[in-house]
Amino acid sequence: MTGLPPARPATEAPEDASLEDAIARLLTLGTYAAVALLIVGVVGLLLGGRSPLDGGPRLDLGRLVSDLAALRPDGFLWLGLVVVIATPPARVAASLVRYLARRERGMAVIAFLILGIIALSIVVAIVSEG
Amino acid sequence: MLGGGAAAGAFGSLLGLGGGILIVPLLTLGFGLPLREAVGVSLVSVIVTSSASSGVYLRRRVANLRLGMTLELFTAMGALAGGLIAFLLSEELLAGLFAALLLYAALTMLRSPTGSVDAGDDATAGSPRERSLSGPGYRVGGLGRGAAGGVGGGAVSALLGIGGGPVMVPVMHLLMGVPLRVAAATSNLMIGVTASASAVIYLLRGEIDPYVAGPTAIGVFLGATAGSRVAHRINIRILRVLFVAVLLYTAFQMIRRALGLAG
Repeated sequence: MTGLPPARPATEAPEDASLEDAIARLLTLGTYAAVALLIVGVVGLLLGGRSPLDGGPRLDLGRLVSDLAALRPDGFLWLGLVVVIATPPARVAASLVRYLARRERGMAVIAFLILGIIALSIVVAIVSEG
Repeated sequence: MLGGGAAAGAFGSLLGLGGGILIVPLLTLGFGLPLREAVGVSLVSVIVTSSASSGVYLRRRVANLRLGMTLELFTAMGALAGGLIAFLLSEELLAGLFAALLLYAALTMLRSPTGSVDAGDDATAGSPRERSLSGPGYRVGGLGRGAAGGVGGGAVSALLGIGGGPVMVPVMHLLMGVPLRVAAATSNLMIGVTASASAVIYLLRGEIDPYVAGPTAIGVFLGATAGSRVAHRINIRILRVLFVAVLLYTAFQMIRRALGLAG
């Protein structure tokens, strides 16, 4: 493997601490936002007299917008789930930007490849759904 | 669902398992959901556990970001492959695979660990790449084995919705010399990305039910937040015993399912 980072001492550099703090903030923010949306969705679902075991709709991006505009629980639930799933890739993207800014080519290549594999997963899923 | 999710989130964040290892049996055995649908919801729960607890672990400098990102390159590859294979396998075979994996992880954790390498002993030991991934007080070794384990961990994550923690914690701890607490925290960080790569596939194939995923994820969030805040106070031996006990119990339940004795 050629894309791995250069050696560093086994103690933490200040720039690593700063990156870890920034990533921690991003993860916390993403999770809190997602959970807030899910709580609104679940409360709406229960107030509407529906059970979690009723079976929910599939994700439909067109319907998601109209559900949110109409304050329907399905919209909040789906947006919350999309934010949940998007938070870890957003963490990798943020790391990529930081590593590029610090000219840490090895770690930047790793972050870029991880995002590439996630993008490939999406393409494969769409193609196989056909 | 909320309570079960909270318990799974707490265990998941403490042990680096992501909570999926309990969510799948909870939803299949407790609520009668088909295994594949439970796996989809479990992947969402794994991501919630990862994001909620990793924020805390990174701030406390327990998780190793560089090591986690390096290994998650390989787990993401495995997750992509596993996500594609999962739809070709029967439910009984998936349950059997799940049980075999759990038993393997439990037995591995019962073995004496290689222990961490004191970074102060010999600053030139290991390759430059491995030294670059080491943390305060320990040195990372066996990067090749870690990468191979990562591909396997990613594949089982996608197949079984467990985030790869039961593979990655033993791989980092036993094969790479990472202390158990750091391995669990780093695994928590990694499994979010691994689970995301496969969750997207489940999402687009309609295998994630928002009505089940919503309350489960809220419960998992509450449990994971609490778990990550008390993790540093828990004795490492208790952590290991908890890990093995949870793995063995879940393996037993899954064997019953694979043999058609449950659900």
